[in-house]
Amino acid sequence: MDFDTSVKLNIYEMIARTTRMPASIDVALGIGSSMADVEQAFQRLYEKRLLVLEPGAPSRIRMAPPFSGIETQHRVTIEEKVYFANCAWDAFGIAAALKRDADIESTCGDCDEPLAFKIRDEKPLPQDYVVHFAVPAAQWWQDIIYT
Amino acid sequence: MLFFRSEEHVDGWCKLNGVPKRPLVSLGQLWQLAVTWYGNRLTTESRRPGPDEMVKIFSEIGLKGPFWDPKSDQWASSA
Repeated sequence: MDFDTSVKLNIYEMIARTTRMPASIDVALGIGSSMADVEQAFQRLYEKRLLVLEPGAPSRIRMAPPFSGIETQHRVTIEEKVYFANCAWDAFGIAAALKRDADIESTCGDCDEPLAFKIRDEKPLPQDYVVHFAVPAAQWWQDIIYT
Repeated sequence: MLFFRSEEHVDGWCKLNGVPKRPLVSLGQLWQLAVTWYGNRLTTESRRPGPDEMVKIFSEIGLKGPFWDPKSDQWASSA
């Protein structure tokens, strides 16, 4: 396994287990490497659009999609662990990545009222709610945090 | 990419924010996207789909046209 893959898997293993987004020091300790080498890997993973780093903070990850490094309006509970997702797609994505039933709490983008979703047996229970993609695919990474 | 209670709420949000209404995605379509994109994210094989793969993935669940094409230049002037 190459170094960048080791870094990526360590990030995901840690967040899946702890719900907390690791920093470069956590990953360095986890795989027995240096922070500098891990941060270079973070940058390469960003260039492959697999991570988003905090602006001006190369040691910190803002997004390891579908997971968010900060609290958001999309809260995903799986086996009593609470994760935060970057967007509607990623809220479902956490359940898909962890392959577990999930309870998702979010809000209507318009009225801010709570919306609840359940993923059971690898599919969402029926709801009439919809998702609006405001940004065309060609522009998603122009401002991925807004997207 | 936000959840909305209904299409009427999407209309309200677009009007309030002065943004054009874009495609709506059902929860079933969203789940298919989630599984395709993230189903193997915790494995060594995971990678982000390339542009042509993305178009194919979207098309297979009924999301077609330049909006779903990461190589489309139709949106350059509206960035």
